[in-house]
Amino acid sequence: MSYRIGIDIGGTFTDFVLYDNSAPSHSAVSIHKELSTPDDNSRGVMNGLEQLAKKSGQDLRTFLTNTEALIHGTTVADNALIEGKGATVGLLTTEGFRDEIDLRRGYKEDIWDVRLEPPKAIVPRRRRLTVKERVAASGDIVAPLDENAARLAIKQLAKQGVDSVAIVTLFSFVNPSHEQRLAELVREEMPSAALSLSHLIMPKAPEFERASTTIVNAFVNPRVTAYLDKLVDKLHAAGYQHELLAMQCSGGVMSREFIRQKPIVVLASGPAGGVMGGAELGKSKGASNLLCVDMGGTSYDVSVVKNGIAPAEPGWNWHHRYLVGLPMVSVVTVGAGGGSIASVKSGMLQVGPESAGSDPGPVCYGNGGTRPTVTDANLVLGLLSDESEFAGGSFSLSRKGVDEAFHEHLAGPMAYSIEEAAFDVWRVVNANMTQAVRRVTAEKGTRTSELTMLAYGGNGPVFAGVQAKELGIKRILVPRTSPTFSASGVLSADLLIDEEKSYLRPAGSASTDELAGLWQSLAESATGYFVGAEVKADNIQYSYLLNLRYPGQNWSLSVAVTEQQGVSSTGFITPEKLAAVVDGFHAQHEAEYSYARREEQPEITGVRLITRAASPKPPLGQGKISEQRVCKASRSRRANLGEGYADTPVFTGPKLVPGDVVQGPAIIEEVFTTIVVYPGWKAVLDDAGDYVLIFL
Amino acid sequence: MPYELNRRLAARRPALPTNAEVDTVTAGIVRGAFETICFEVATHVARTATSAMINQSNERNASIIDAHGRLAGLSVGIPQLMFISPLSVRYALEHKDQDDWGPGDVFVGNDPYAGGGHLPDYNVFAPVFDNSGELLMLQAIQCHQGDTGGKDPGGFSPDALDLWAEGLIIPGLKLLHRGKPRRDVMELLIRNNRLREFSGDIWSMIGAAQLGARKLQELVEQYGADVVKAAINTNIDITEKRFREQIKQWPDGDYEADVYIDHDPAGNKDIHVHVNCKIAGDGLTVDFTGTDARPELAAVWNTFSNTRGYAAAQLAAMIDPSIPKNEGLFDAINLVVPEGSILNPPDNKPVVLGAFHPAVEVGEAICIALSSIVPERASPQVYKIGMPNVVFGFRNDGSMWMDSGVDVRGSDASAVQDVDGWGSMCSALGNLILQTAEEGESTFPVRHLGRELTTDTGGAGKWRGQPGTKNIKQLLEPGNASCWMVSMAHPLRGMQGGHDAAPYGNRFMVGTEQEYAIDNAAFNVPMPAGAVMAYQYGGGGGFGNPLERDPEAVKEDVLDELVSLQAARSQYGVVLVGELADYDLKVDHAATDALRREMATSQESA
Repeated sequence: MSYRIGIDIGGTFTDFVLYDNSAPSHSAVSIHKELSTPDDNSRGVMNGLEQLAKKSGQDLRTFLTNTEALIHGTTVADNALIEGKGATVGLLTTEGFRDEIDLRRGYKEDIWDVRLEPPKAIVPRRRRLTVKERVAASGDIVAPLDENAARLAIKQLAKQGVDSVAIVTLFSFVNPSHEQRLAELVREEMPSAALSLSHLIMPKAPEFERASTTIVNAFVNPRVTAYLDKLVDKLHAAGYQHELLAMQCSGGVMSREFIRQKPIVVLASGPAGGVMGGAELGKSKGASNLLCVDMGGTSYDVSVVKNGIAPAEPGWNWHHRYLVGLPMVSVVTVGAGGGSIASVKSGMLQVGPESAGSDPGPVCYGNGGTRPTVTDANLVLGLLSDESEFAGGSFSLSRKGVDEAFHEHLAGPMAYSIEEAAFDVWRVVNANMTQAVRRVTAEKGTRTSELTMLAYGGNGPVFAGVQAKELGIKRILVPRTSPTFSASGVLSADLLIDEEKSYLRPAGSASTDELAGLWQSLAESATGYFVGAEVKADNIQYSYLLNLRYPGQNWSLSVAVTEQQGVSSTGFITPEKLAAVVDGFHAQHEAEYSYARREEQPEITGVRLITRAASPKPPLGQGKISEQRVCKASRSRRANLGEGYADTPVFTGPKLVPGDVVQGPAIIEEVFTTIVVYPGWKAVLDDAGDYVLIFL
Repeated sequence: MPYELNRRLAARRPALPTNAEVDTVTAGIVRGAFETICFEVATHVARTATSAMINQSNERNASIIDAHGRLAGLSVGIPQLMFISPLSVRYALEHKDQDDWGPGDVFVGNDPYAGGGHLPDYNVFAPVFDNSGELLMLQAIQCHQGDTGGKDPGGFSPDALDLWAEGLIIPGLKLLHRGKPRRDVMELLIRNNRLREFSGDIWSMIGAAQLGARKLQELVEQYGADVVKAAINTNIDITEKRFREQIKQWPDGDYEADVYIDHDPAGNKDIHVHVNCKIAGDGLTVDFTGTDARPELAAVWNTFSNTRGYAAAQLAAMIDPSIPKNEGLFDAINLVVPEGSILNPPDNKPVVLGAFHPAVEVGEAICIALSSIVPERASPQVYKIGMPNVVFGFRNDGSMWMDSGVDVRGSDASAVQDVDGWGSMCSALGNLILQTAEEGESTFPVRHLGRELTTDTGGAGKWRGQPGTKNIKQLLEPGNASCWMVSMAHPLRGMQGGHDAAPYGNRFMVGTEQEYAIDNAAFNVPMPAGAVMAYQYGGGGGFGNPLERDPEAVKEDVLDELVSLQAARSQYGVVLVGELADYDLKVDHAATDALRREMATSQESA
C-alpha cells in the first residue's frame, strides 16, 4: 500500500485528495473535506488525516507509515500579508535608495480615486536603513562597503526589535559580495534574525521589483517557516517518514528545505494548485488549451493553460498590493462570487466587489445576511433551490428574507419586480466575468474561441454556459471533483525549481564559458534539493533557457536552449548554439508580439534553469464517452435560464451515470455545485464521471 | 485665428439618433465592453510598440469616440490625455465626406490648433460603420512620440518661436484607405522622424486602432447598432446626471483661485492662471477669465483642447470615482477660456511645453477653488515639474543617447482630507511607470547616487503632503544637460490651511567649486564626465491646519524622518521628548497644548 495525499487549506475547508496507487484505478482516488482551523492550520490537517486513516480502516500511524508523499498547498503567506501580521522587518540597502518600496515606480492601483489609502507598510521608513557602498552595472565595486556604518545600522535595527532582515543593494545580482558581507555582519550582531538576500531571492534587475520581492519574503519568512516546521514535527511524530512537499506560486511543488530558503514561493500557491489540477485534467481529456474559471464565494479567478502547461511568468505581478517578481502562474481575480453584493447607485445596478463572504454570507444562508447577493439572485431565478441540499448537504438555502432584501435594495430603487432585479444581477455578474476573461486573454494574445472552458468552484458551473457562449467557446468541462480541485492539482504537480541568474551582455559578445558556469551553479543547487527530496537522479529533467530582449525593452523573453534528463552537463553551449538561440528569439518574439527586429542585436539578460521531476499522476479518466443516451428528468422547477421563466427539468447529479446526456435547458444538482445547462447546450457524463458541456 | 474652430469643436453635441431604448443595465454592460476594448487596444500597443517610452511607461491612451465626436468610453491611461482625444477626432469628422471615409480607414492627427494637445501626442483613430454604411463610432489610441521632427531631438524646444519649430504638424491625415496603407503618406511620416523606433510605434498604433475597430464591429453585430447607440446615449446621460447631482449638493456661489508659474523660459515672471468656479443649482461654470494673456510670453501656451482635458481630469477626480468617464463630464459643465490667453492661445504659438505649464495649473486652480466645498476630494492632479534634467551625448559610433530623466521620484503627492500624501505622484499618474536606476545605468553612461524622500519637503497639514525626493545623478561621460525649473517661487499649494509643499530646486556640478543653482532653465549645457546634478522635487501640499494634526501622527513622522524634530515644533506645534536615535520619542502633551495655543493665537492675529 502506498498513498500520496494532496492537501489544500482554504478559508472554510481544508481539502484532501488521497491517491492509493495500489488500488484499482476506479477506486484509487478519494476525497475528504475537513473544517479549517485558522488559529493553527496544522490541527485541521491532522484532523483530516485521522479521518482519512479511519476511512481506510487503519490507525493514523500505520496510515502515515504507508504514505509516501504529503503534498501541501498553504495560504499562510497570503494570510500574513492580508492580515498584516508578519515579521518585524528591517531593510539594509544602498545609500540613497531606502524609499523604493514606498515610491513603487509611480504605480497606484486606481487613477480616479484620490482617497485610495496607501498599502499597509510592512517595513516602515525608520526600519529602512542605508549603508555607503556601491556596485556598478559591470559588477565593479565603485564604493567599498562601509562596515562601521553597517554595524551601526544593524544595531539600530536590533534596537527596534527587528527579527527578519532584508538586504537589497544595487547590482547585487551581478556582484553579490556586499550583500554577502552585510549578511555576515547581521549574523554577528543579530544571530537570531532571519535573512533575505535579494541576489538569492530574485537575482535580476530592476531594484524596485527586487526590493519589493525581497521585503515580502522577509515579511512572510518566519511565519511560513514556523508553520511548516510545526506541521512536519507533528507529521513525523505521528509516523510520516518522508519529506513534506509544498506548492509554489510557479505551479510546481518542492521540499520544505527548498521553501525554507525562499518562503515567498508559497505565496499565491492555492490558485496555482487549481490551475495545475485543471491542466492535468484537461490533458487527460485531450484539451490542452484551457480557460480555467473558478467562481467561489467571494471571487472569480481566471487563468489560461496553453499547450498543457500553465505559464508561470515573472514580471509585474501585484499581490496584496505588493509586487512579487517571481515566476508565478498567472491568475486574475475579480470580485465576483456567490457572496458578491448587488446594489443600486444613482440608477445604476452594480454587483461586487463588496462581498458578504461566507459570514454572514448571502441572505439565503440564513446567517443574518441582509443584502442581496449573487447566490440570492440565483435562488430567485430558480437556478438554485431551497428544496435541495447545498454545499455537500451541509445545509439548505432558505428563501426567508430574500424577497424583502431584493425589494429594499434593488427592485424598489429600480422600480420593477424582484424577479427582474434578480435577472439583472445575473446579467451584470455575467458581464463582469466576461470582461475579466477578455482582459486576461488580451494580455496573453489568446483567441478565446480556440479554448475549452474548465469551470469549477461552487458557483463556476452555474454561469459557465453563458460566458462560454459570449466568448465563442463551444466546449466546457466540469469535473466532479471540482470542490477539491486545488488539492488535486497539488497532488499531481511536478517537483519544480525555476531559477534565474542575471547576465547582462549583448548576445554577440557573450562568453559561452560564463554562461555554462552560471547554468552549472543553478544545476548543482537544484540537484542538491532534488536529491534531498528523495528524487532519483534519473528522474530529474533540466530545461535550460536564455533570457533575451531587444535593446530598449524592459521585459525579457525566455528562449528554450536545450533539455536534459538525469545528468546535467553544460557542454551544449557553443557559439553556434548561441547563434541558433538568437534566431529562436527573433522567431519567438514575432510569434508572441507580432514583430521581430532581425537587424537588431538582442541583449542577453540572464540564464534560467527549470528543473523538474514528474510526480506519479493519479489515474484520471479520459474524456471518452462510450455510449450516449438522453435522460429524462424526474422533476422540474420554474427557473429563468436567460430566456424568461419556464418549467425546467432538474436532474440529481450523483444519480447520473457515464453516457447520460442532459439536454438543455436543464439544471443538474451535483453534491458541491449546480450545473446549469443553458438552452443550446447539452451535458454528457463521460466515462470518467466528469461533465462535458457541448454547444450545439 | 483658431478661436472659431475651437468654439465649434467644443460645442455640445447631440445624442446619436436611434430607434432603440435601453435600460441602464444593458447600457452598463456596453460600457464595460467599451472599457475592455480600450484595455485591449492599449495592451496591443504595450506588446508591439518598439520604443521604451510607449511600451514600458504605459503612456498609451485608448478612447472610443461616437459618430458625433463625443467621448463614449476610455481605459486605464493618463486621464488628462484621454480627455483630450475627442477634439482632434472632431476636426477630422468635419471633413468626413471630402476625405471619403469608409470601413478600414485609419487616420492620425496631432495639430494643436486642430483639436490636438501638443505635437508629440499622436492620436490614431479608426472609424466603425454599420451595415448601411452609417458611421457609428471610432476607436482612438493616443501615444506620446519620442520625436516630432522639429528643430530639436525629442521635440521639446523651450526657445521655439512658433509651432513649426516644434515639428511636423498633422491636422488630420488618412494613413490607410479601406484597409490598405498609403505608402507615400507612411513614408513621409517616417522620414520626418529622427527615431528609428518610430516606424514600429506608428504601425503598432495603427494595428491597435484596427483591433479596437474590429472588436467594436463585433459588439455591434452582437447587440445591434441601434442598441449600441442607445447605450452610448444612456451612459453619457447618466454621467451628466450624476455629475449634476453632485454639483447640486455643492453650495451656490463663486469660488475663485489664482495660481502662478514662476517664469517662462525667457524670464517673464509670475505667469498667472485665474479661475472662477461658479455654482448655481446643478450648473457649474469653470471660467478662466483673468488669466494671463501677455503676448510676449515664451513657451507657456497651452492649447484649448489641452485646457479642456486638464479641467475635466481635475473635476473627474473631485466627484464620485464610480461615475463613468465620458462626454457627460463635459456636458455637465460650462467651460469659459478667454481667447488669446495662455489657455487658448493665438494661432501657431509654440505649445509643446505649455502642455505641462500652464496645463497643470488649470487643474491646480480648479482644485483650490473647490477645496472648501469638496474637501474630501481636493487633491491636485498635477506634476509641477517644468522639465526634468534631460541629459544626452554621443556614443563612439556617433549615435545619440538621451536619458529623458523620467526616473523614479517622489513629487507633488498631496494630502487630501483624511489621507496623507503617499507614493510617488498624484493618483492620475498612477499608471505612468518610472525608470529605475539599474535599467538606466545599464542603458546610459550615468550613475544614480540617490533619490530619497527629503525630510520636511511635504507640506505640513492636518494631513501631510508626501515629501519630494532629491534625485542625484552623475554623468560618467561628457554630455549635455537641459531643464526648465518652475515651482521654486510658487510651489504646489496646500489646501484648506495646509501648508504649501517645499519648492523645487536643482543644482549642477554638485561638490565642485563650480557648483551652481539653476534659477530658470538650462539648454544643452555641456557637462564634463563626473559632473553631478541634484534635482530636488517638490513634495505634495498639506491639507488642513497642521496644528490640528494628531500629535501621535507627528511623532510617527519624526521617527520615519519625514518630519524633523524642529519642524514638529515649528510647523505642527508638537513637543517631543526622548531620543530619536533610541526610537523612544513621546509626545509631551501639556507642552504641546500650550505651544499650539500660542501658535494658534499668532495665526489668528497674522
